[in-house]
Amino acid sequence: MTSATLGAEKRPISFKIPSTGSVQLNLGIIIFSLVVLALLSQWAFLTPADLDGNLAARLKPPGFVDRNGVTHILGTDQLGRDLFFRVLAGLPWSLGISGVAVVLVALIGTTIGLIGAWNSGIVRTVVLLGIASIIAMPFLVLALVVVALIGRGFWPISLTMGFIAWPAIARVIYAESRGLLQREYVLAAQLFGVRSIPILLFHVLPGLRPTILVMAAFFFAVLLIIESALSFLGLGAPLNAPSWGNMLSDSRQYLVNAPWMMLVPAAAIVSSVISLNLIGDGVAELSRRRGRAVDV
Amino acid sequence: MTDLAKDAKPVAAATPPGATVRASTAAADVQTIPVWQNISNVLGRRLIELLVLLVFVSSTLFFLLRFTGDPAAVLAGETGDQEQLELIRKQYGLDKPLPVQYGIFLIKMVQLDFGKSFANAQDALGLVFERLPTSFTLVLIAFTANLCTSIPMGAWLGSRPDKTGRKLASTFVFVAQGIPGYITGLLLIQLFAVELRWLPSIGNQGPQSWIMPAITLASFQAPQVIRVISANVAEAMREDYIRTARANGAGFSTLLWRHALKNAMLGATALIGAQVSFLLGGSVITEVIFAWPGLGRLLVTSVQTLDFPVVQAAVFMIAVFVYLAIMITDFVFLLIDPRLRRQRA
Repeated sequence: MTSATLGAEKRPISFKIPSTGSVQLNLGIIIFSLVVLALLSQWAFLTPADLDGNLAARLKPPGFVDRNGVTHILGTDQLGRDLFFRVLAGLPWSLGISGVAVVLVALIGTTIGLIGAWNSGIVRTVVLLGIASIIAMPFLVLALVVVALIGRGFWPISLTMGFIAWPAIARVIYAESRGLLQREYVLAAQLFGVRSIPILLFHVLPGLRPTILVMAAFFFAVLLIIESALSFLGLGAPLNAPSWGNMLSDSRQYLVNAPWMMLVPAAAIVSSVISLNLIGDGVAELSRRRGRAVDV
Repeated sequence: MTDLAKDAKPVAAATPPGATVRASTAAADVQTIPVWQNISNVLGRRLIELLVLLVFVSSTLFFLLRFTGDPAAVLAGETGDQEQLELIRKQYGLDKPLPVQYGIFLIKMVQLDFGKSFANAQDALGLVFERLPTSFTLVLIAFTANLCTSIPMGAWLGSRPDKTGRKLASTFVFVAQGIPGYITGLLLIQLFAVELRWLPSIGNQGPQSWIMPAITLASFQAPQVIRVISANVAEAMREDYIRTARANGAGFSTLLWRHALKNAMLGATALIGAQVSFLLGGSVITEVIFAWPGLGRLLVTSVQTLDFPVVQAAVFMIAVFVYLAIMITDFVFLLIDPRLRRQRA
């Protein structure tokens, strides 16, 4: 009561954190920013020497203090490398590769979906047939085989995933833009003589924004899982790179003696994936509240 | 918004069977065609898709292999000298011009001749067929386990989503969705094989050794299926025909299991058809974790050793397998859902 009247006279200084209005989205953004902050922080204090192994401190549990007085917060691996630093250094690999791939997937998927929706006849048939057939193939199998042929490394993996994973997004974009193209404002633009590309770019694309955002968030998570799976199978990031999948793969032989070797990269993967799923869910819920359901 | 939804999901947006009033108004532009005709239409389309996929994937592999390096050098290994390279080129037809090679490759693919494995000179397709039953067992168990847990779980979560217990369970499912299957597999090994020593963690040694790989494989997709089904059930429970059935005195369990779930399941058709594709992809990594002697592990080892005939044959069979599963799902749903037999005139 009093606070309300006070507020009417003099607005109190608000310490409220800016909020998006969706609990899931907020939570997702917070966790994801923590992960990315950790990524950025490594340039501040991580030196190449931190990643070197110390064979005197092999397979030590979390909290181990070695002879030099250095605490290994998350323990060490089979070569005595500090797992905390390794997980940090793995961020550019795991999140970087899937980040590049997801941008590519969104670009290709949106373009092809729009092409299929705008054209009719043979072009649409080809687009739909291509989407339907590629989408059926297990993604991991395709990625595995292609990466084996064109080689490992940051760019080969991210480009491969980008060029293989687009059909799922293209299908959703196609369905959505078919609906948008039937709207009156598109017809009005056509009657004003606006050409096809400006119509697609300035009239249809803005309407697809929430869909693209939601799909991109979910696909970021999916691609992160696939990247780690490839590394886990020994066909992803180069063997010595501190990719999370590589760390998991290393840990398999030491499950009995050093379970933390598995738990540390697993926690990194799981927290990134959950935060990305939260962001996707949050954006979907926000646009649903604004009366624009996102159908994924 | 409505035409958009119709465009995206014609099946899910169709009129529910209970609503006779709406069905009669929609009947103007909808006609029922004979079952067999619809089935042959759908299956014919799937066969074309499969053909496109097979040609696309094998051609991609064919050209990537030839453009990213010298296949003869790959075959000869590190010890091959110039003479050996020439011999291998002649033997495998690599000295011919590229279009000719491609033509020969396509003809051989039609004849299901993928060549012999580089590793042990066995017939590549034979090797794949040898491994198929073990993989099939695993995928089938995981598929059954997946549906047997996901459908009741999804129905339970979706029936009254606002209750506290179900909110907690939904959160749990959400978290589970963020855990990739291979991490589940490693956690299971850590718990049941290393700590408790209850289950064997390696190989195919009878039913006991099926448990962990099957759970691992099922866990790749189960949370997602649960979430989709529960969302569909929750939506179906708000429909008019449910209210009508309730007004007619139907009990809650009849409403849920007989009316709402049926419609919710039909919305999830595509998801269930795609399950086998997901499971086969997941089986690659599951088989490696549990040293399961199946197709996925064969694929990974032959990819690692660059044994291309086997890779081609394995990829070919996986594509065929996936489309077989999709066609069976199509077939079953066409038989049980009368709405799919209607076609727009």
